Amino acid sequence: MEERLYDLIFIARPATPEDEIKKVIHSIEHACTEKGGKIEKSEHWGTRKLAYRVAKHREGMYYYHQIRTGHGELIAELERRLHVQDSVIKYLTIRLDEDLKRQKKLGEKREKRAARRPRRPAATPAQPAEQQQASAD
Amino acid sequence: MADEQKQVQAALAEAPRGEGHGQGGYGGLRREGGREGGGRREGGPGGGPGGARRGKRQYFRKKKVCKFCVEKMDLIDYKRADILSQFVQERGKILPRRMTGVCARHQRWLGVAIKRARNIALLPFAGSAAGATAPKVVEAHKS
Repeated sequence: MEERLYDLIFIARPATPEDEIKKVIHSIEHACTEKGGKIEKSEHWGTRKLAYRVAKHREGMYYYHQIRTGHGELIAELERRLHVQDSVIKYLTIRLDEDLKRQKKLGEKREKRAARRPRRPAATPAQPAEQQQASAD
Repeated sequence: MADEQKQVQAALAEAPRGEGHGQGGYGGLRREGGREGGGRREGGPGGGPGGARRGKRQYFRKKKVCKFCVEKMDLIDYKRADILSQFVQERGKILPRRMTGVCARHQRWLGVAIKRARNIALLPFAGSAAGATAPKVVEAHKS
């Protein structure tokens, strides 16, 4: 199966002690190594104000991971583990690879189109010179 | 006394007209702000800027370009709440395309991104999104 890229964000309660967070992160890493997944990125966004009350809290600690795996069931396992933790109040997994593929394709198409057109500053009015106009902005 | 009565009557006469629900052949155009609905109706006798019953409110629309097309953004990141909050009303509702000038394709992607951001509490479902910021990485570690 081809490799898929996922975004995993979870929010912990505002005053959670450091070791509890470590426990959560370790269980994520453990599950990844068990089921064969690689953590590409791991970030902590600090304590942010939430847009609405979640579990009666107005703030939360955001943690972000980017995971690459060929096994889809790893995500179900991760979500199961996060659901069980008391300190995690919200989590979200997003599949990213299709979006990134599309982004790459559009970027390549755009570059090909730009390379094909003669790079002249709006000399010919017949050509829809959107590239030149955009770069002139 | 008579003045008051006249004022009251005038107010009552105006109010239902202000609500105006598509009379006069405007079809499914909902009011986009109660005040303008009333103004539209009463613009009739004046000729109405932009021609009489041409349909939608052309006179209010200035030429708009899609911000994402101009910046060549191929991926609308749901994590960037500061960008997304520009396309969201005060009450948290997603702004329609005719207000923001976004092209159809990016409006679809924008909707998806906003809904994802709402689910992770970066944007509200209902309520002010003022002060939405992009996530600042406190510590990043590649493990």
